[in-house]
Amino acid sequence: MNPGEAVRFPKVRPRALFASRPVLTFLIVVAVWIGASFVKPGFGAFGHLRYLVELGAVVGLAAIGQTFVVIAGGIDLSVGAIITVSAVGAPLVALAFDESGAFAALITLAAATVIGVLNGLGVAFLRAHPMIMTLAMATFLQGLLILLAGGSAISAQSPLLEWLGSARPGGVPAGVLVWAIASVLSLLALHATPFGARVFALGANSLAATLSGVNVPATTVAVYAISGLTAGMTGLLLLGMNGQGYVGIGDPYLLSSIAAVVLGGTSILGGSGTYAGSIPGAVLLVTITGLITVVNASPGWRSILFGSLILALLLISGREARRR
Amino acid sequence: MTPAPTLAARGVSKSFFGNAVLREVSIALQPGRIHALLGENGAGKSTLINILSGALLPDAGAVEIDGRVFRGLNPRDAHRAGIAVVQQELGLTTQLSIAENIGIGALPRRYGLIDYRGLARRARAAMDLVGLNEDLATPVGDLPLGRRQMVEIARALFREPRVLILDEPTSSLSAHEVETLTALLDRLRAKGTAILYISHRLNEVMRLCQHVTVLKDGVVTADRPIEGVEAADLVRLMVGRDTGHLFPAWTPSADRDPIIQVSGLSSGVLRDIDMSIRRGEVLGIGGLVGQGQEDLLLSLYGALPASARTAEFNRQRNLPASVRRANALGLAYVPADRKREGLHLIHAIGWNLMLPSLARAFSLSLRDRSKERVLATALADRFAIKGDLTRQVRALSGGNQQKVALAKWTPAEPQVWLLNDPTRGVDVETKREIYALLRRLASEGKAIVLSSSDTPELVHLCDRVAVMREGRIVATIEREALSEGAIVAAAMGADPLRTAA
Amino acid sequence: MNAIESASLRLYWPAQRQRNRGAGGLLIVVAAFLALYAYLFPGLLSVGGVAKFAQSWLPLAMVSMAQAILMLAGGVSLAIGAMVSLGAVIAATTMAGPLGVAGGAALVMIAGLGVGAACGVIVVRLGLPAIVVTLAASFIVGGAALLILPRPGGTIPAWLSDLLAGDKPVAAWLVIAVVVFWKLYLATPLGLSLYAAGENPDAAYRAGVPVDAARILAYAVSGLLATCAGLFVAAKTGSGDPVIGEAFTLNSIAAAVLGGVGFLGGKGAMRGALAGSLLLSVMINVMYFLGFPPVAHYIAQGLIIIGAVALPEFSARRRAL
Repeated sequence: MNPGEAVRFPKVRPRALFASRPVLTFLIVVAVWIGASFVKPGFGAFGHLRYLVELGAVVGLAAIGQTFVVIAGGIDLSVGAIITVSAVGAPLVALAFDESGAFAALITLAAATVIGVLNGLGVAFLRAHPMIMTLAMATFLQGLLILLAGGSAISAQSPLLEWLGSARPGGVPAGVLVWAIASVLSLLALHATPFGARVFALGANSLAATLSGVNVPATTVAVYAISGLTAGMTGLLLLGMNGQGYVGIGDPYLLSSIAAVVLGGTSILGGSGTYAGSIPGAVLLVTITGLITVVNASPGWRSILFGSLILALLLISGREARRR
Repeated sequence: MTPAPTLAARGVSKSFFGNAVLREVSIALQPGRIHALLGENGAGKSTLINILSGALLPDAGAVEIDGRVFRGLNPRDAHRAGIAVVQQELGLTTQLSIAENIGIGALPRRYGLIDYRGLARRARAAMDLVGLNEDLATPVGDLPLGRRQMVEIARALFREPRVLILDEPTSSLSAHEVETLTALLDRLRAKGTAILYISHRLNEVMRLCQHVTVLKDGVVTADRPIEGVEAADLVRLMVGRDTGHLFPAWTPSADRDPIIQVSGLSSGVLRDIDMSIRRGEVLGIGGLVGQGQEDLLLSLYGALPASARTAEFNRQRNLPASVRRANALGLAYVPADRKREGLHLIHAIGWNLMLPSLARAFSLSLRDRSKERVLATALADRFAIKGDLTRQVRALSGGNQQKVALAKWTPAEPQVWLLNDPTRGVDVETKREIYALLRRLASEGKAIVLSSSDTPELVHLCDRVAVMREGRIVATIEREALSEGAIVAAAMGADPLRTAA
Repeated sequence: MNAIESASLRLYWPAQRQRNRGAGGLLIVVAAFLALYAYLFPGLLSVGGVAKFAQSWLPLAMVSMAQAILMLAGGVSLAIGAMVSLGAVIAATTMAGPLGVAGGAALVMIAGLGVGAACGVIVVRLGLPAIVVTLAASFIVGGAALLILPRPGGTIPAWLSDLLAGDKPVAAWLVIAVVVFWKLYLATPLGLSLYAAGENPDAAYRAGVPVDAARILAYAVSGLLATCAGLFVAAKTGSGDPVIGEAFTLNSIAAAVLGGVGFLGGKGAMRGALAGSLLLSVMINVMYFLGFPPVAHYIAQGLIIIGAVALPEFSARRRAL
C-alpha cells in the first residue's frame, strides 16, 4: 500500500473493532452464558450450549433473508408463513421415486423462492409498501395452507430430513453445519460482491441508486427471493427437527428473525448493517427466550418482555438513526 | 437616530456537520423599509431566514424582536410576534382548500372549533390583496405552481405581519403576478411593515428595495442603502470578484458531430422537444425554475418514461428505456439535489466513488478491494477531495460532495454528461473547478448538457443555450447571440415563439 | 352581510364537497356490492337487517378510522388488533364488577387514549419508525391483554349486549355518532392540522402548525377508537377474548388502502377509509352468504389488498422516480 492510500484508507484500529455491533452482540452472548451458568447449574454444559446454537440455527437461517431485505430498506413479514409452507408442503410432495427426499426438498425450496420472487415483484413493480405486500402474502398463504393441510399435523419421513434433524457429523449438529455454510455464503454475497454493494445502495437511498445505474427492481426481487429461499430452508430444518409440520409452525420465527437482525446492529431503516451481527443476534435471542421460559413466565409476560426488548433495542439503534 | 429595528439578528453563526454556513452575521429590519438580502446559492440566505423566523436555532448570537433578545425562538413565537415568511419551497397541503391552507397554524376559533365563517372572510381579504380570485374551497392541489406561490404569500399576509420575509417569491410567478406583488409590497411598506426580500433578479431588487445586505460564503460583505449602488457592484459583492474571472476561457472545440438527436420528445410536462447534442460542446438549458428542465434531462437519461418521434443516441435508435441502458449508451447524470438523488450520505466517500462501477459489474463476481482503493485514491486526488475516504459522505461540505457526485462517473468515461444545476449550493472555489472541468471535458470531445438556474453560468460557459418555457424549448441561442438579457427575454416569453433548432 | 357576499364566503360545505372527488369510483363499487348483497339477502332492507349489518360493520369501521388517522398523519399502526383485544378484555372484566358499565367504559377509553398517546410520544418525540414501535407495542399490549384475561371469559352485562347488538339498529346510530365525532375532531384547529403535519411536516412546522401535538393527538384518538371497537366486539359476543382483535390489524390497513388513504401522509380522506371498510365488510358478508369456507377469506383478503395497492399503479401514469 502506498503512502497516499494509507491516508485515504487508514487501518482500522483494534479498539474500534470492539465497538462494532457484531462483536458487541457476541460479547453480550458470552456474558449472558457465563452469568446464566453460575445461576443455573447445567446451563453451561457443552450439550446445552450446543442445543442453544442448534435452536439458534433455525432463527439464524430465517434471519439471513431478513437481513438482506432489511439492509435493502424493506421488511419481510411473510417469513413465518413461508416457513410454514415449506414445513407443511415438503411432506405433501413426497414422491415414490424420490427415496432420499432430496427432490421434495428441492421443489419445496423452489416454491419458497418463487413466493419470495412474487413479494419482490409486488414491491418493485406494483410499488406496494414492503410491509403491505408481505403481510398480504402472509395472509394469502395462511388461507392456502389451511385449505391444503387443514388443522392436522403432517409428519414426514425421509433420509434427508432425518439427517437434518438428528445427524451430528463430527459432533456438530447438521442444522448448525447448514447454517454455517449459508452464513459464509451470505456474508460473501453481502460484502464481497457487487450485488451486496447494490443491496446497501438500495437501502440507503433507492433514488440515488437508480440514478447511479443500479438495477433497483432486479435487486429488490433478488433480496426477497433470498428471503424466500432461506425461509424455505428454515422450514425444512424445522420439519427435520420436529418430525412433523403443522399450520402455524413458522409463526414464531417471523418476529425472531426481525429481532435477530435488529439485535445484530442492522438498521431497521435500511442501508447499513451486516449478517455478521445477526449470527450472535440469533443465538442471543434463543438464549433470552430460553431464560424467559426458565423463569416460568406466563404467555402474557413473555409477550410483554419481548415487546419491551424490541422497543429497547429500537431506542438504542434509533439513537444512531437520529445522528444521521 | 434610527428607530429600533423590528427584527434583527446580532452576530449569529450556524454550522451543519462541521461546515460553517453563517459566521457572525448581523442584519436589522426597519419598519417601512424593503430590505434586500442578496447572495449566491449556498451563501447562507435560507439559513439566515430560518434563524430569523425561529425554524432554526443559531449556534451563537441572538435574534432580537423590538430590541428584546429571544433565546430558543420557535416558529409559533415568531408568528405571535408578527413575523411571517414566504418560503421558497412550497409548503402547502394539497388536499386542503385554499382558505384552510391560508389559515392553518393561525386558524380563528369559536367554542374550540374552527370559525369557518371568520376564516372565509379573512382568507378572502388576504386573497384579494394578492389578486387571487379562485374559489375559497378549491383544493390547493388543483392550482398551478404560480398560483400556489400566491397562496403562500396570502398565507403570510393573513397573519397581518409586522415583518414579512419573502424568499425568492417571484421565481415561479408570471410577469403579471410579479407586478401585483411589487405593488402590494410598496403598499405594505408605506403602512410600516418591515420587509426582507430575497431575489436573484437584480433589476427587481434595484427597483423595489431601499436597503441591501449581501452575504458571501456565510459572511456579510455589504450592508448599506441601495441608493447609489450599481447592479454590477452588487454582483461583485456577491461573488467576490468580477464574474469573468470565474470562468475559463472559451475555445470552440473541433469535433462537433451530433451524438444525440431527438425530435418530438414528450414526457410529463415536456411537449414536442426537438434537440441535437453535439460532441465537444456545452449545451446550456435555461429558463425560469420548473419549466421542465429536469424532466428533459431525466427523459434523456431513461429515468422518466418518454416518447419521441425519432431519436438517435450514439448511433443507436430509440430513447434509452432505463438508466442502465442510458449508462451503456455512454450517458451520465448528475442530479441537482445531490443529498437526495446523487449520493448515499451514510456510506463512505470511497464507496460512493465506486458505486457506478459496482452497478455495472457482474453481480456475483468477487470485488477486488485493493484495486478499488487504488482507483478511489486516484479519483480523489484528481478532483482534490481531501482526507480519509472511509468517512461518510455527509461529513463533506457541499462543494466536496458535488465533487464526489461528479468524480464517481469518470471511471465510466461517459460520452454525454447531463448536469442538473451542478453548482447549486457550492462555494466559489469549487465552482471555478467545476467550470474548468466542464470545458476540459468538452475539449476532449465529450458532450455536456448543463441545466442551470444561474444565468451568468450559461452565458459564460455554453456554446449554445436552449431556453425552456412550459415544457417546450422556446429558443435556442447560439454563442454569438448569448447574453443574460437574451436568455431572460426568451424565458419570460418576451420573444415571439421560435421553433427550436 | 348581503346575499352575494355570503355566497362567495361559503367555505365549509364546498370544501367538504371537494374532498368527495376521486371517491366516485369507489362509491359505485360499494353501491354495487350493497345491491348484490341486498339482492342475495332481501332481509337486509328491514330494520333488523340493518341492525345486524351495522353490527358487523361497526368494529371494522372504527378500526379503519383508527388506522386512517395515523396514515393521514404519516404513520401506521400494527398494534390496532392488540388494542381491540385490550378494549375487549377490559370491558369484559370490569363492566360486570363494582365499576359498572360506565366505569368500565371510562377505563376502556382511558386505556385507549393513554396507550395511543404513549405510542405517539415515542414515535413523534423520539423520531422512531412507527412500524417498529407499534410492532413492539402490539406485543406489550397483547401481553397486557393476556395478563388481564388469560383465556376467553369475563362477562358483559346482558342488557348492554342486547342494547348494542340486539334487534334495534343501535349500531347504525353509533356509526353515525362516530362520523360526527370525526367531523368535530377535524373541525378543530389541531384536527385539521393533521393533514398539514402528515403531508409536509417541516413546512407545517415553519408555518406555525403544532405538528408534534397534532400527531400525538392522532395516535391517542386512534387508540381510543381501537379500544372502543374492542368494547363493542366484547358486547357483541357477551364476553372477552384476549386475542379476538388480531385480524383487525390487517383489515384496518386493507380498508384504509382500499379507500385511497396513502402511506406517505396527508393523502386521502376518512370517507374513503369508511367506504373501504364498508366494501370489505359487505364482501365478507357476501362470501359467507355464498357459502365460501372461512379460509377463503384469507385468500380473498390477501388478493384484495394487493389489488388495491396495484390498481392506482396501473390506472395512473406516474413518474418513474
